[in-house]
Amino acid sequence: MNQNLITESNEIAHAGVVIEHLSKSFGSNRVLDDISIIVKPGSVTALIGPSGSGKSTLLRCINLLETPDAGTVTVGSQVVTAGRRIPERELLALRRQVGMVFQSFNLFPHFSVLRNVAFPQERILGRSRAEAEERALTLLERVGLKDKAHHHPAQCSGGQQQRIAIVRALALSPRVMLFDEPTSALDPEVGVEVLAVMRELADAGMTMIVVTHEMQFAREVSDHLVVMADGHIVEEGDPAGIMADPQEERTRRFLNAVLER
Amino acid sequence: MEVIGIVLLGLPMTLLVTAASFAFGAIGGIPLMLGLRSRHRVVRLAVRLVVDVIRGVPTIVWLFLLYFGFAIGVFRFSSLGAAIVGLGVISSAYLAEMYRGGFATLPKGQLEAAQALGLGRRTTFVRVLAPQALRTALPSAATYLMALIKDSSIASTVGVIEMVAAATAYSRQNPGTAGLTPFLAAAAVYVVISVPLAIATRRLDARLSRSHA
Repeated sequence: MNQNLITESNEIAHAGVVIEHLSKSFGSNRVLDDISIIVKPGSVTALIGPSGSGKSTLLRCINLLETPDAGTVTVGSQVVTAGRRIPERELLALRRQVGMVFQSFNLFPHFSVLRNVAFPQERILGRSRAEAEERALTLLERVGLKDKAHHHPAQCSGGQQQRIAIVRALALSPRVMLFDEPTSALDPEVGVEVLAVMRELADAGMTMIVVTHEMQFAREVSDHLVVMADGHIVEEGDPAGIMADPQEERTRRFLNAVLER
Repeated sequence: MEVIGIVLLGLPMTLLVTAASFAFGAIGGIPLMLGLRSRHRVVRLAVRLVVDVIRGVPTIVWLFLLYFGFAIGVFRFSSLGAAIVGLGVISSAYLAEMYRGGFATLPKGQLEAAQALGLGRRTTFVRVLAPQALRTALPSAATYLMALIKDSSIASTVGVIEMVAAATAYSRQNPGTAGLTPFLAAAAVYVVISVPLAIATRRLDARLSRSHA
């Protein structure tokens, strides 16, 4: 994996993400309360916090898997304002720029690994089957999984499936990548393979927002750390700085709990 | 052994009624399933009511209603028409329920992954969700098909000359102990059709679950 994951990607101009005054409730439960975050183009932001803090919901609002009640989400030059029914055209235009990786991989089980990576390219970018499969094979090779191309996802390990899921998203040349606890369903040893790919992607200058419990990854790879609790941002800033010297009691409690495990 | 020959005369009709009404149901089940999954509550409830009513009325009653009770102008159902439409409508209701079940058990992540990739609603439904739902519905649909082969004998009550009708006719002409043999012959033919189908279904299911999980 010496070759860069997105070296041929001169087509990619990485976009920034700006979230302004975002709120979201599920029933009477206010999951996000007036959140604002700026993610610079090419930077890595780690979102941490206890479960139920709203960090996954925040991530899912960025590509509108959840519809925010209020606020705006800006990805590159695409601005989406909440508080109304968002037309499909607008949803697709936004999602076109944003790739997402899930905790549970969510590969399509009825497709081969190759089709998983090629099919979205054909549908979304209008590539020919040959073109899409060629790109899929190139990317799979870079994460060491070319030999799995004709297997089905069920025949791959969790770590392999997650790397395939990353490749599936990258094949569409997103300008921002979202990761929702990408290693939480994996054994620690297997998670390392996935983190290595993410690290490489970060080095290549991909804009990344990562919800994670991997503190080492957050410290070493991310440029910006956001600590959330109860739908609020408790603290944000330099990852190493916050971990060494948290300013807020809530941050301190969370970090202690994570580090003591 | 002429009895087997007589019963086998009804076999093509048994197969025709079964295949045609299953095909009717496999296609007719799609709009009903879409109705059961509608975003609109009123549509969902209305289709739910239709499906439950269809399933609640005995097959023989449906066939009688269509054959004896249905007329629009000069149009009336033939025996075969009533049998295929009647069994087909019932199949639609059962298969719609199986399709719906297939969709209901799909992990939520499948829809979300398709959405996050930016696939449109139609592509997501047709290429991502439906194949998986169908795969889940396959074993119960196959079980239903096997039941339908036997239920096609109810078509004999509206005058379709399938295997049971052929056996009945033979039996009437040959009273006494010989009268049972055509039914035993018919039973044997049903078994000969059903058992291989059951084996094939189990094999297909095993093969699909190995690769698709």
